[in-house]
Amino acid sequence: MDQKKDVSMIHYFMILPGVGFIVLFLGSSIFITVAQSFGLFSVTGTSRFTFANWKTLWERETIDSVVFSLKMGVLSSIGTLLFAFPVGLFLRKGGAGKRFLASLIKIPLFIPALVAAFLILNIISYHGIVNEVLLALRLIKSPLRMLNDKFGWGVVAIQIWKNLPFVLLIVSASLAAIRDDIIDAARNLGADTWAILFRIYIPLAMPGILVSMILMFIKAFGDFPITSVAGPTYPPSIALRMRNTATLFQEWDKAAVMGVIIIVTTLFMTWLYSRLAQVVEGGNP
Amino acid sequence: MSRLILRNLTKKFDDVVAVDHVSLEVEEGEFVTLLGPSGCGKTTTLRTIAGFYVPDEGEVYFNDRLMNNVPPNKRNTAMCFQSYALFPHMNVWENIAFGLKMRKVPEAEQKKRVQKALEMLSLVGFENRKPAQLSGGQQQRVALARAIVTEPDILLFDEPLSNLDAKLRVQVRVEIREMQKRLGITSIYVTHDQDEALAISDRIVVMNQGRIEQVGDPHTIYLYPKTAFVAGFIGIANIFTGRVREREGNRVLFESPFGEVWIKAESFEGRVGDEVKFSFRPEDLVLYREGMSNRIRGTIVHAIFMGDSTDLFVEVKGQRLRARGGNMAYGGDVLKLKPGDVVDFGVDETAFRILS
Amino acid sequence: MKGSSPLLDTTPLHVREARRRRLIYGLLTAFFVITQIIWVGVPVLMAVLWSLVDPQHPWSFPQLFPEKLSWAQWAYVFKYTNIERALKTSYSVAPLAVLLSFVLSLPTAYVLGRKNIPGKKVFMLVVLLPIIMPGMVVALFLSRVFAAFHLTQSFFGLVLAHTLMGIPYMIRVLTTSFESIPQDIIDAAENLGAGTFVKIKDIFLPMVRPGLLAGMVFAFTTSIEEFNLTFVIGTPTFETIPTILYSFLGYNFIRTNASVVALIMMTPNIILLFIVERILKSDYLSASLGKV
Repeated sequence: MDQKKDVSMIHYFMILPGVGFIVLFLGSSIFITVAQSFGLFSVTGTSRFTFANWKTLWERETIDSVVFSLKMGVLSSIGTLLFAFPVGLFLRKGGAGKRFLASLIKIPLFIPALVAAFLILNIISYHGIVNEVLLALRLIKSPLRMLNDKFGWGVVAIQIWKNLPFVLLIVSASLAAIRDDIIDAARNLGADTWAILFRIYIPLAMPGILVSMILMFIKAFGDFPITSVAGPTYPPSIALRMRNTATLFQEWDKAAVMGVIIIVTTLFMTWLYSRLAQVVEGGNP
Repeated sequence: MSRLILRNLTKKFDDVVAVDHVSLEVEEGEFVTLLGPSGCGKTTTLRTIAGFYVPDEGEVYFNDRLMNNVPPNKRNTAMCFQSYALFPHMNVWENIAFGLKMRKVPEAEQKKRVQKALEMLSLVGFENRKPAQLSGGQQQRVALARAIVTEPDILLFDEPLSNLDAKLRVQVRVEIREMQKRLGITSIYVTHDQDEALAISDRIVVMNQGRIEQVGDPHTIYLYPKTAFVAGFIGIANIFTGRVREREGNRVLFESPFGEVWIKAESFEGRVGDEVKFSFRPEDLVLYREGMSNRIRGTIVHAIFMGDSTDLFVEVKGQRLRARGGNMAYGGDVLKLKPGDVVDFGVDETAFRILS
Repeated sequence: MKGSSPLLDTTPLHVREARRRRLIYGLLTAFFVITQIIWVGVPVLMAVLWSLVDPQHPWSFPQLFPEKLSWAQWAYVFKYTNIERALKTSYSVAPLAVLLSFVLSLPTAYVLGRKNIPGKKVFMLVVLLPIIMPGMVVALFLSRVFAAFHLTQSFFGLVLAHTLMGIPYMIRVLTTSFESIPQDIIDAAENLGAGTFVKIKDIFLPMVRPGLLAGMVFAFTTSIEEFNLTFVIGTPTFETIPTILYSFLGYNFIRTNASVVALIMMTPNIILLFIVERILKSDYLSASLGKV
């Protein structure tokens, strides 16, 4: 960056509106979450500091929900990566067909998450088109239960469909940043295709891969609408459980504990993201 | 160790013929430079030798083996890139060892060879650094080490010094040449810098628009250019078209735009009336002394002091001639010349070259 | 093609191999394109078809296409659901949220884009937090905070909440715009006598205009799509298009209604964002980390 003039007090005031707004509202929300988990600012009138609510952490249902959400997070991030990485490799070099392909792939980016949830659950439902086609091709004997199934495949499918372009954007930027002469040098020194994949492409794209996987994980872990619509009846995702505990059972304190679980997991992953973002900026010369 | 034979090599990109029926034979251990301006086909030729391009016509042989369909990672060539192309996520040791790893050389042998390469290129102590922590010159040495450690049949250089500053370039090119001589590996070197080519090559291949203009050792290329392109590209040349006026044994009198000149031409077959291109070097256009075969009177337009020599722009009958005089050579006579001076110059009849 | 049989084919091996490689390459591209068209096209097509199913001729299992198409479902949704009110709410909250985001983001983006403030990296991360933090947690407990100030079930509360989600995009995009103004231009202007007001009016604002447009579109679509916050803070008093869609997806799954609302929600979105993609450099798209 070319020379920037000195920073004065007025600049700190100018930062205040945008950053201040976020700190105020986001901060107060997080503060209340943590506070209520320890029994303060309680909805029920009596506020006193206590660890009592934290026994929710050990309850069977909480653990089931956390495990389920972790499962959704991990599967969604791995799943999107598995689809996005080969496409990213393919798109590394340009070409007319490829530009068209790239715009096609980007479409789910423009579709709101809830709409995406509907579009996909519509086609994977018991009598939806996916089942019809599989039956017609005689690949299955009876329709698969992909929606509201015990495992959560419906949710994973929706997450992958909706977020593939997002992960692809980041991963293909990482791959495109790899200079061609590095690939040439590797070939020249005797590397075959697999060696180039595992020793050059994957390591050099790793920061981008990790960043997109972390962001994907956070989204899928803390999701509410998609799991409530397409997920199994039991266990609910931790966000869904938290909301029901609060608004249906009016047990805000217990809900706050679950909220803290989600916040802590997210902050930890965000910290990981910020470390990796630095590596991305310094890594690929 | 390999001989390299290119036979009628042709490579096209869409409608552009980048390499046009190039034939060349390179001996074992020879250092051959492909020299020419951008777009002349030198890099395309190099990359075809490396296997990155498949020829459209013609063949590439290493010794007797036809290499056309051998992929780049199966040829035993090693390339030094202009941008060094060091693997940014590996340290110096891993970079150098990469080729050995790909060839599945046993660990102990790998260690030995990498250690030797580090010593040869004064990189001991840098093993654990990443490329980003190295200077340009150091990166260049790592690229070199990485290439030679695999003991390739042919070493390929793609303008490896372009990114270094001028002084470093002069120093490193000598180091490259000395190392190559010591190891005796056949080398093909691509550059557009003719000083570089003259300084370190066994032979130079001058290329232009996909074709070879002339092949020869540096002396021959400089002193005996065969075409106007070669004469003009290597060093500076005064190039003119003359008409044959008279023949006297092996001396020919030419009528040229700046006057009449006698040229000694051994195997020249032109007849009176023929129009022919000829050239002479600025250092051959000297201050006239009694007895010289040709006398040319001109007016000094510019006198440019270059330190060890002076470049003169001389106008003769409306034509611009270039002269270059060493500043001590005439006891300082050249230094006394100023724009506007009318001076007699001379060129010896053996200094001219007839071009095709 | 050269030669009538492989035995007589005299084209050199390397040319044949090059041709084969191009063929494989072309097939692979075609395969990906077709797969993508199905991947994206079928879900959308299904939604469109379902929204046009005539209620007298329900579309069920053995039929490949609905028997009869009509606008009946669309009419039904508009007549018997709260869609009109939801549309009104959505499209009146969004512009206000965008405006508020812009006003709050502009000075912040200026400083982050053009000044070397210590802790810039931290600020940039904080700016991202609303997008990264899972929406339901923020929504649920922000509603507690709002409740204390009587902001739940209120229009103003909704606008504030949507602004919170729009600011990150606005700041990211505007910061990139400010960063890309060459210092030389500002120096030249000052050298020619421009004061602060002139600098803002004639240099900064025009040069950030493309970024501003992108930021506004992102903030706008974010507001239209915002679900968690509206669901907790707004309903049941205020419904927006996403909350109405959600109501048709839960236990009350009415496929035909849901299709109509989904299309209502999707179409302006796609049009707007396609315009942004086309007209502006894709720097802005990546600057906002894509739509999350």
